[in-house]
Amino acid sequence: MDGDSGWMMQHAWLIPALPLVSFAVVGLLISPYWKKGAGVIATLSIVASMVCAYVLAWEYFTLYPAGGEHPILVPWSFEWLRYQPGLAANVGVLVDPISLLLMIVVTTVSALVHIYSNAYMHGDYGFGRYFTFLNLFTFSMLGLVVAPDIIQMYVCWELVGVSSFLLIGFYYNKPSAVAASKKAFIVTRFADLGFLVGVLLLSFYGYRIFPDWSAEVGAVANGLAGTQPVDFQYLNDPVFLAKFAALDTTFLGISLLTLSMCLVFMGAAGKSAMFPLHIWLPDAMEGPTPVSALIHAATMVVAGVYLVARLFPAFAFSGTAALLVAYVGAFTSLFAAVIGTTQDDIKRVLAFSTLSQLGYMMLALGVSTAEHTLGYTASMFHLFTHAFFKALLFMGAGAVIHAVHTNSIWEMGGLWRKMPITHITFLVATLAISGIWPFAGFFSKDEILAAALGSGHYVIFGVAVLVAGLTAFYMFRIYFVTFWGKGRGAGAAHAHEAPALMWMPMALLAVLSAVTGFFPMAEYVHLGEAEGHHGINLAVVIPATLFALIGIAMAASLYIGDGHRAVALAKMLGSVHQTIKQKFYIDEVYLFITHRIIFHRIARPIAWFDKRMVDGGVDASGWATRSGGRALSLLQTGQVQTYGLWFTGGVAFVVLILWSALV
Amino acid sequence: MISSAVYTVMFYGLSAAVILLAVLAVNLRQLLRAALALMGMLSLSAGLYVLLHAEFLAGVQVLVYIGGIVVLIVFAIMLTRSSELLEDHPRPLAQVLGALLSMFFLFVAALALRDTRFPVQVQTGPPVDDVRQIGLLLLDRGATGYLVPFELLSLLLLVAIIGGTVIARKVAPPKQPFTTGGDARGETITESARTQRDIVPGEGAP
Amino acid sequence: MIELLARHSPGLPEWLTLCVVLYSIGLYGLLTRRNAIAMLMAVEIMLNAAALNFVVFDRFSTNQQADGQVMALFVIVMAAAEIVVGMAIVVALYRMRGTVDINQMNSMRG
Repeated sequence: MDGDSGWMMQHAWLIPALPLVSFAVVGLLISPYWKKGAGVIATLSIVASMVCAYVLAWEYFTLYPAGGEHPILVPWSFEWLRYQPGLAANVGVLVDPISLLLMIVVTTVSALVHIYSNAYMHGDYGFGRYFTFLNLFTFSMLGLVVAPDIIQMYVCWELVGVSSFLLIGFYYNKPSAVAASKKAFIVTRFADLGFLVGVLLLSFYGYRIFPDWSAEVGAVANGLAGTQPVDFQYLNDPVFLAKFAALDTTFLGISLLTLSMCLVFMGAAGKSAMFPLHIWLPDAMEGPTPVSALIHAATMVVAGVYLVARLFPAFAFSGTAALLVAYVGAFTSLFAAVIGTTQDDIKRVLAFSTLSQLGYMMLALGVSTAEHTLGYTASMFHLFTHAFFKALLFMGAGAVIHAVHTNSIWEMGGLWRKMPITHITFLVATLAISGIWPFAGFFSKDEILAAALGSGHYVIFGVAVLVAGLTAFYMFRIYFVTFWGKGRGAGAAHAHEAPALMWMPMALLAVLSAVTGFFPMAEYVHLGEAEGHHGINLAVVIPATLFALIGIAMAASLYIGDGHRAVALAKMLGSVHQTIKQKFYIDEVYLFITHRIIFHRIARPIAWFDKRMVDGGVDASGWATRSGGRALSLLQTGQVQTYGLWFTGGVAFVVLILWSALV
Repeated sequence: MISSAVYTVMFYGLSAAVILLAVLAVNLRQLLRAALALMGMLSLSAGLYVLLHAEFLAGVQVLVYIGGIVVLIVFAIMLTRSSELLEDHPRPLAQVLGALLSMFFLFVAALALRDTRFPVQVQTGPPVDDVRQIGLLLLDRGATGYLVPFELLSLLLLVAIIGGTVIARKVAPPKQPFTTGGDARGETITESARTQRDIVPGEGAP
Repeated sequence: MIELLARHSPGLPEWLTLCVVLYSIGLYGLLTRRNAIAMLMAVEIMLNAAALNFVVFDRFSTNQQADGQVMALFVIVMAAAEIVVGMAIVVALYRMRGTVDINQMNSMRG
């Protein structure tokens, strides 16, 4: 890069490299011998990485101040895989506002979760292993965030999947955790299949169009000589997109651009747990609670959102793909919020809340277009604020679970007196997620709603407002049940405040949840011209806040006290309530499809064929060899004279042949 | 003329006797008798050498074969004495197969003999000094000499002597596992096995 | 009569035939004898036939050197060495297994 870019910019690779080195060192050298050290070193490496990320952001925004142009920089990269001349995948670091945003979110939340985990996991059998995996995850996530091309993105995408798998199944002697980790892995793998096909389509046609493109834009003259056909900068280039969309080849009448974007979105939907691929996320709560906070709330699950944002120009160009994103997002958001109102497990409520909020981010991305990019900013803004308050909610839940030793909210209660700090921080986060002024969620949600309204998607806007109310309802439901009233379980009676290592990160996050809303996100994250922060739009604020307050009021009326009104309401709703509580039986539908249809109708005949035909063939050849050997072994009489007979006969025979040949 | 006739008679007579004795040597049931036939066959072979003017070789044949080898065989027969062992009862099937195969071999070799034209056919006269010639050849270091094989042969004899002694030694070296390589009775000789050594057949017989 | 005999004095083919016959007899013995000692005796017959062959070629070649005789000498010496080792093995075998019946030496049976 040019000489005036700062030191950190040139050494941006340090940000993902630090956790990687720490992962290797802690995993191989330290954790087997020095448990406590594993936690300390892992935490320190993430903190160092966090500092690097802050310095990098500072350098970038010094070079390109807020409100101005924010170019995409690739300050460091090298050629990693060369498929053929003109098609290579680089590994590198891409710096632009959204990657910086994600870097800051990931490193900050990861560092706080590391600190928190030192206390939370204290004395756990797999303490060293836990931090090793956590470091692996952080490295993978950072690698994903800084990926300059879609290949590195895909590799790190799978790496975060693996780390998530390892951490969900962290308590590997617990069958439900093992099942959950398998479920998460298989579901996301299935989604990644779509992503992979999308990547292949993109890189194949990207490679074909590449020569035309470089001739048209004058790539060499414009300093784009090093661009590869898989780089995001190229894939997002309008010239390329126009050529790609104009290809004659179509698939079932869908243009290839839309098709590949839909396939990429399938991967994103799997990772971000969009309906109908959401089934793994609630089960993923089997992992340790800090893992849920880091991976399944704040960072990994937003990778899908980030992927869509990263390829946003392509999605926007396609139009149809963006609409798909918007509707899937909106539906998931409503769907998850409805389920969230009925769950009893505090972590599951938070999981459904995460689903709902991810749907929010997706819909914000989906409703924005190349001209109307407010949703893009709003989505990233919500991602930013959501990471903090959702991580905080999970940490709070972790602290409560740590104290009460149960996940069920009905066995908690009255904890505000025993755990005051947890109570306050949890309340802050709840207010933030409910979108109450002046907490962070208010501003980001407000922007999303404004984007939905501004783009003219009134249905989506309506859904979003409704979801805002539902969110406030279910969040205050668990808040009231957990912290108010009387202690119900045995654990609740003996609860005590979390240790300092746990509540300090929570306090920090509470501060962040409270104030990040005032961050002028639009100045930093925007496409094209910066749209000024639109200020308070009363058409948006009034319904949203109204619905949120109604939600809170309903939660208060139903759940403060002994909750008999809630029971009565549930009884009144009857089977509807039951359906919602059973998560609309989506898991059962999956089971039906996989077991009844795939296993019985498809897998079983294949297994039969494999067992009888393929294995049978192999066995038959083995049998033939064995019996042939047995037959031949009869010749091995062990009698030296038998051998002599054969030998002499052979010699005589050879002589005979020689004689007949010579004569 | 006369000498040629005598040569002819001698050749056919000796050949007939040698073949007869060889057939006896491979067919007699009594091993001692077979050894005797072998001895006769070998001594008459010495006569054949004389007929070929290889007198030195004839002497060596008598000395080594009759004086050494046959005596050794007879000793071996007597060392392994046992009523059943003094006789040999070939299996009829083996006899038929062996006979057929040897006949086949003979037939093939005869065919080859018939159709091969050897470069020399004329019997030349005897060399002036046979023994001297052999001695010179044996100790000739040149390309046509046999010094190295000769020395190697002496080494071979030494090895054979030592090997024969070691193999035929009566007792396995103590404290060393001795196996017969997968033999059914050839487990490692342990302490208990060594105490049972005396009941091994043939062991300890005077 | 004498003339007839003189005219039919044996040449190379007759000598070689004798050698082959002797060799085949030895082969027969080797293949049929069950006793190890008898087998070794058959081997001696075969070796003797081979030595005789060398001497025959020595005599019927124009070469005045005694190479064939030297070879025969070597064969005799090797026969001696072979019989020494062979007999030692037979004695050891007998001591170990109580028999020299070659048909019972079948521990290599497949």
